[in-house]
Amino acid sequence: MKQKIGVYICHCGGNISDYVDVEKVRQSIEHDEGVFLAKTTMFACADSNQKEMVEDIENEKLDSVVVASCSPKLHLLTFRAVTERAGLNKYNYVHANIREQVSWAHSDNKEGATQKAIQIVKAAIAKVRNAESLEPIKVKATNAVAVIGAGVAGMRAAIELAEAGADVYLIEREFFVGGRVAQWDDLCITEETGKELITRLYDEVMKHKHVTLFTGAEVVENKGSVGNFTLKVKVTPRHFKLNCISNELQKAIDVCPVEVPDEFNFNITTRKAIYHNYPSEYPQLPAIDMKNCTRCGECEKVCNSIDFSQKTEYLNLKVGSILLATGFDPYEPKHGEFGYGEIENVVTFPQFKRIVHYCDDKLIYKGKEIKNIAYIYCVGSRQVDGENKYCSRYCCTANIHTAITVKKKYKNIHNFHFNRGIRTYGKAEIWYDESSRLGDIYLQSFEHDPPVIEKRGDQTFVRIKDILTTNKELEVVADLVVLVTGMVPRKDNSIANLLKIPKGRDNFFNEIHMKLRPVETVIDGVTISGASQGPKNIMESMNSALAAATKSFELVASGELALEPTVAKVDEQSCDWCGKCEEACPYSAFDKIEKDGKFVARVNAAVCKGCGMCLPVCPVNALDLIGLTDEDVESMIDALIPTV
Amino acid sequence: MSEQMKSLEFDVLVIGGGIAGGEAALNLANLNYKVLLVEKELSIGGKMIMLSKVFPTLDCAACITTPKISEIARHPNITIFTGAETRKITKIEEHHFEAIVLQKPRYVNVTDCTGCQLCEQACPVSVSDQYQYGLVGRKAVYIPFSIASPRAAAIDIENCTLCGACERVCPTQCIDFTQTEEEFLVTIKSIVVATGFDLFDPLKIPRYGYGTFKNVITSMQMERQLAPTRPYNTILRPGDGKMPDNIAYVLCTGSRDKSLGNPICSQICCMYSVKQAQLLMGALPMADITIYYLHIRAFGKGFNEFYAQAQDMGVEFVKGKVGKITEKENGNLILRYEDIEQGKVQEAEHDMVVLSVGVLPNQGISDAFENKKLELDPFNFINQADILASPAKTSIDGVFVAGTASGPMDIPDSILSGGAASAETTSYLRRALL
Repeated sequence: MKQKIGVYICHCGGNISDYVDVEKVRQSIEHDEGVFLAKTTMFACADSNQKEMVEDIENEKLDSVVVASCSPKLHLLTFRAVTERAGLNKYNYVHANIREQVSWAHSDNKEGATQKAIQIVKAAIAKVRNAESLEPIKVKATNAVAVIGAGVAGMRAAIELAEAGADVYLIEREFFVGGRVAQWDDLCITEETGKELITRLYDEVMKHKHVTLFTGAEVVENKGSVGNFTLKVKVTPRHFKLNCISNELQKAIDVCPVEVPDEFNFNITTRKAIYHNYPSEYPQLPAIDMKNCTRCGECEKVCNSIDFSQKTEYLNLKVGSILLATGFDPYEPKHGEFGYGEIENVVTFPQFKRIVHYCDDKLIYKGKEIKNIAYIYCVGSRQVDGENKYCSRYCCTANIHTAITVKKKYKNIHNFHFNRGIRTYGKAEIWYDESSRLGDIYLQSFEHDPPVIEKRGDQTFVRIKDILTTNKELEVVADLVVLVTGMVPRKDNSIANLLKIPKGRDNFFNEIHMKLRPVETVIDGVTISGASQGPKNIMESMNSALAAATKSFELVASGELALEPTVAKVDEQSCDWCGKCEEACPYSAFDKIEKDGKFVARVNAAVCKGCGMCLPVCPVNALDLIGLTDEDVESMIDALIPTV
Repeated sequence: MSEQMKSLEFDVLVIGGGIAGGEAALNLANLNYKVLLVEKELSIGGKMIMLSKVFPTLDCAACITTPKISEIARHPNITIFTGAETRKITKIEEHHFEAIVLQKPRYVNVTDCTGCQLCEQACPVSVSDQYQYGLVGRKAVYIPFSIASPRAAAIDIENCTLCGACERVCPTQCIDFTQTEEEFLVTIKSIVVATGFDLFDPLKIPRYGYGTFKNVITSMQMERQLAPTRPYNTILRPGDGKMPDNIAYVLCTGSRDKSLGNPICSQICCMYSVKQAQLLMGALPMADITIYYLHIRAFGKGFNEFYAQAQDMGVEFVKGKVGKITEKENGNLILRYEDIEQGKVQEAEHDMVVLSVGVLPNQGISDAFENKKLELDPFNFINQADILASPAKTSIDGVFVAGTASGPMDIPDSILSGGAASAETTSYLRRALL
């Protein structure tokens, strides 16, 4: 039992003290059993107060500490570190949340808020009275990182990790690297092409002996946890030998009778079952798409490099951390959405980029020369009725940049931008300005009143109530309608399900804290980067990839990790394996082992997060949580019930 | 260089102790590199530590910044100079730079100062408080602000009368008028420039009346009024101390305006204005808030949802540029603006106007580089030499840029950029070993 508890009650500069009478809270608990010292403070987390706490612990020989302030999500670790600096075992610290759970929740009832704060602090004191010193669980960390996705973010992260000194496995699901950027020509800001950027990054990746690249590869199983993940990777063969002769290869492609839509060109062209991504794809080796190949054998007859005997392989990779760079999908409009799929000259922005790529002196689509282009913005983003409430961030700038390119590349182009308020933030403003100077026409409506597309005769009309001309109804005859589609999370996100990565309201991967820990996830050891986390442009993706590389490297660099000891424990005597705990565990932390002639549950302490989901389902009460035992909880409940 | 100059050696010099520089310093220090952090202000924490709550999550800025700052200040691998300037940076060769760091005298011995504030009470001189953006006064001896790090007094020698009152009351005798400027010769292997941004000075738009009309304030002044360490403990209009009930925001003040030499968008003003509007509705439930805007740039994660939330809360958004502000006798203000939706010029009366001032480059650091040129972009931000593949790279190998020194960005982006700068610095330092 603790005898010298120090209690600190935080004003949070008004965040708490505007609604909670912190002095009253202090007075109500200062004579509680074991409380030696009770203070209020303006900002408990400020450096000056932290110093004072250290001095108090040292001078007054405090044996435990409670801080009543904000959510433990924000500052549990801060104050544990304070106690540790003062020479106290950090598990003798208990955090009471009187901000999110009290002052912010009950701003309409100051008296009630104060009473609730008192009970919460009393409960924390009750818990700290029983606190025991605990030692962290030490695990060895493998100095290797798996980077999932070899788009620009993944390749950049892989290079950085290798340079910093880690072994890197770069795992790409497609047969070719480069992700979405490979599909783009001129890039914003630098005028470099997507292909050129990919070439630079790929060359660097291949230069590093510490990076191993797998294409056609997918993680299918994950065992282990931070420091020691074991990933099972399925590698699909491309059915090509390395030394292929290019003219033979072309013959093989020519004789292939299968023709399917080419996803690289967003289905505006077709390809064979043997295919390249584009002439300078990486790796520079075609692949056979076995989903569509009919195994007719025609290609084998003309090309010696084809090898149907190659088998799917499974590899086990040991890594200390996993960095996700799985990117995004372009939004696919629904059939009929702004005429998509119904009117033949309605295309998406990614398709438009590919059309521009293939047209040299004249912009031609489906045999017709294009002069009037109508761009409809925010398709699939900022939806009023749909699920995507978010702004896709990159599309305004990317589309205006493309519209300028088109105007400069071809003659007599007229651009009409049907927008909802252009968001060319930051330096991208100069393109908005340039396009206006080039004579592009901007027409705007609000979310609830989008433009309408109509086919009349053989002409396509786009109509809008334009708020820039006092809601006049304006109509444009468009040769081509470009739907400026946004970014959506990957359709196939099996890796996220495998690793149990949480998603935000927008369904992109979610970080722990946007500002404090922007690239880490609640799954220890797994970092996220690029557009997998939410829409980003290339530079922003690179920044997050590099930041994630730093965090992943920090984990594996030291060779050893200290993990939280507050995990579930099994009383092996009463346990008689029934498997209910295993079913309830969201982190797959339970194993069935044989012990003294019977089966019992075992907790993998490195995987267990101490969430407590297993406790209530155990029929024989064989489970308890270290650091939050049944006894602790009962004493807290007693303290929470006000004595009348 | 003088013979007596003290020499110091570190792996990395981080110039600027705001949130981006701090993040870079912390990452590098965690990887066991020795870091020198040089900050020109009297406290680290940059602009973020001065803010109220931050969008789009409405986290209290102080609650996020102070523990980070505390971690930086305590880190065994980080040495901090506050009130210091970096000069004469020379690149000797790869992985070998020299710089002069000028420590300006604080006239207070920081290690002995307990922050008791007795000196502040004794000091007879009152001047405008720059850390409260001129909303209130401070003494000539002062603790910069309550959550400053270090939380120690400093003497503003320009305004000090040398009366000695502070010296007499100081219980630890930490006041020391004999301090002089001290120069250090610092040898480092790499540099991170994280010098942040300046705010646009609205005196440059006389037609908005800032500086003349007392109830026209900047967004940073409103930020201070909303912050937990706020000077008035409520929202007041400076002219007469009345609680405002009809507040206007003028967006793009100093941004997207070629006539002022700043054609670009400042990227943060829309969102901080939307945020302040939400906070004001909490602080002054009866007040009307109107935001005059051109386009709302709510582009980041959760931003558009946050903007929609403000609309749902009843914040009025008027699409149009404010041309001119005039003052009535009672201190209220008349805004003359182009109402784009109505297609005509309108006038509206408000009792307080907040100018949402933009982000400008913090110039000067490029002049500190002696034998190599730290190149700037057309807007005078630090040029990102390989912006798409290596966003932290500058024109000088071994010198990296973090945060708003390279252009406007919000807090999440600044922190990511700090992370990127530390990553690139790490691999640059590793190459020294090969």
